[in-house]
Amino acid sequence: MPAVELINISKSYGATPAAREVSLTVEAGELFGLIGPDGAGKTTLFRILTTLLLADAGTATVAGHDVVRDFRAIRNVVGYMPGKFSLYQDLTVQENLEFFAAVFRTTVAENYDLVRDIYEQLAPFKNRRAGALSGGMKQKLALCCALIHKPTVLLLDEPTTGVDAVSRQEFWHMLGTLKARGITIVVSTPYMDEAALCERVALLQEGQVLRVDTPDALRQSYPWPLYAVRAAHMHPLLQDLRAYPDTHSCYAFGESAHLSLAHAAPDAAARLTAYLTGKGHAPVVVAPVAATIEDTFMDLLAQQQPAA
Amino acid sequence: MRIVWFLIEKEVRQLRRNRTLLALLLVAPLIQLVLLSFAANYEIENLTLTVVDQDHSPAARRLIDKFQYTPYFQLTRVRPSSAAAEQDLLADHADLVLVIPPRFERDLVHGGAARVQLLVNGLDNVKAGLASSYAAGVVQAYQDELRPATVQAAVAVRGGLEVVPAYWYNPRLNYKTFMVPGILVEIISLIVMMVATLNIVREKEIGTIEQLNVTPIRKWQFILGKLLPFWVAGLYQFSIGLLLARFLFHVPMVGSVPLLYGIMSVYLLVPLGLGLLISSVSNTQQQALFVAFFFLIIFVLLCGLFTPTEYMPAWARALDAINPLLYIIDIGRRILLKGSTLRDVLRPVLILLGMAGAVNTLAVWRYRKTSG
Repeated sequence: MPAVELINISKSYGATPAAREVSLTVEAGELFGLIGPDGAGKTTLFRILTTLLLADAGTATVAGHDVVRDFRAIRNVVGYMPGKFSLYQDLTVQENLEFFAAVFRTTVAENYDLVRDIYEQLAPFKNRRAGALSGGMKQKLALCCALIHKPTVLLLDEPTTGVDAVSRQEFWHMLGTLKARGITIVVSTPYMDEAALCERVALLQEGQVLRVDTPDALRQSYPWPLYAVRAAHMHPLLQDLRAYPDTHSCYAFGESAHLSLAHAAPDAAARLTAYLTGKGHAPVVVAPVAATIEDTFMDLLAQQQPAA
Repeated sequence: MRIVWFLIEKEVRQLRRNRTLLALLLVAPLIQLVLLSFAANYEIENLTLTVVDQDHSPAARRLIDKFQYTPYFQLTRVRPSSAAAEQDLLADHADLVLVIPPRFERDLVHGGAARVQLLVNGLDNVKAGLASSYAAGVVQAYQDELRPATVQAAVAVRGGLEVVPAYWYNPRLNYKTFMVPGILVEIISLIVMMVATLNIVREKEIGTIEQLNVTPIRKWQFILGKLLPFWVAGLYQFSIGLLLARFLFHVPMVGSVPLLYGIMSVYLLVPLGLGLLISSVSNTQQQALFVAFFFLIIFVLLCGLFTPTEYMPAWARALDAINPLLYIIDIGRRILLKGSTLRDVLRPVLILLGMAGAVNTLAVWRYRKTSG
């Protein structure tokens, strides 16, 4: 039995489609990522799975329970972290945790082993009001509260958005620990580097699933020869690269430009260097690179919308 | 029920940390009660009086003195003619003009039927009504004094008819006796309905409802957890308010106070439930507040406290059939001033019970854990 299953789920807000015939299957114990930019429909899918929103069409199950028919059963087995911090800011860390344990008819003590690792980091602040915590601490508290009733499926909507790099890393480490305990985790993120930490990811764009695969498979599926190009001035570099006759696509990627070529050729790098030097760029560094998930995603997006 | 208890505990914790709201709930209604009760005064003193004395007799003099000896009138001007006095009325220099015509004393002594004329400034109709009734009282007292000496015999012979009003249950028509219980329930209704109205929608605005809605909390548990803390706050306000009414305003308490408590505890569920209903269908606090205002203003202005409902057109009175404030103010007065028993007020109590059931059922039903 899959832990989460969506079959042809569609949902529109007025005339704006937020989910278009989305079908996904997440196996039990999997760490699954929903990757996509803002507005791709990630939150809509979470709200449908958590029974907060009714889909216009399609069916979905969580832990074998239908989201419409068995909504009550789902509320007992799902741990949900909404994208926006949704705990009581005027209650303390401890009061929040105790409250959510209580409404799930359990106690903090009963399931303490599940949250121990996370809660121990929060313990020094347990009498601080949730509203006065830092972003990273808030996120840990929210995770504790989502876990306190021992859910079998964790649904995390952009848990690391707005959180510093160290806290993000810690958070993903915690997810790994939880996965090791057999909890199914569905997590959404707009960060491509986090996608690589999932077992499988779904790439979403405008309410549609572009592709579902493992991060490795996604990287390897990139069809074009790819080069990282560096020069002193990024903006003219991008312009000249786009004017290069054999360019398939080109975009800024951190401190370098990622360039994909329409044809593979053994001397492609040398010819490109000569072209750029001729345009007055210096110092020019051209190196072949392995595609990242972001490259694959950009390529899939380009296929969706024919370049203007 | 255990879940409801945890919800209440959470609500009370949040309340304790919200100093403004706490002060609003615990102290503000009492301050308002004291202020409004002293301010809502239907006794007017120092009405300005212009006198036109065309008789210049000792009898006329005594009548004028009589006016001056009351705290209600202040003789500010003496004019030779009615025409001059009317100018005072027009210029707002006089609330009342007393015209004593020539031959006033002579008519009084000989015929026993002397006339005086009262001209009242009708700009403020409440004030005008009071001025003319006070003045009539003064003239009446003057007449009573004269009677033994002059007209008593005549009256005895003719068997004159006189209407003597007696105000039962509030013999001296003390406005405080009448107003304080009404003002108290009105203030409590306003405050509890406001806090209830802002409560659920606040959780929506902040987003905490999103987390709460994925828990197994049942809808009725959620609503009950919101209702009970403010219900207790309302009863607390009522208790302190009753003490103030008793010891500060000396409102008589003829009937059963426990009965009044019982009815009040049913009544409070109406504004609270209505507030929660509005809150659960609104998306923002602003929306909720305006909808609540819409109802509150109608309730307050049509509750009979400031304008007797008998003066209202039939349609307004028909509309008032669903005004909970009207019923509770009426019940309160009946029990406190008249000593009515449950049997006497059974009908309005049943109506309130029905309303409480209806709005709270609606609130539970309309509160949605799922959207779309």
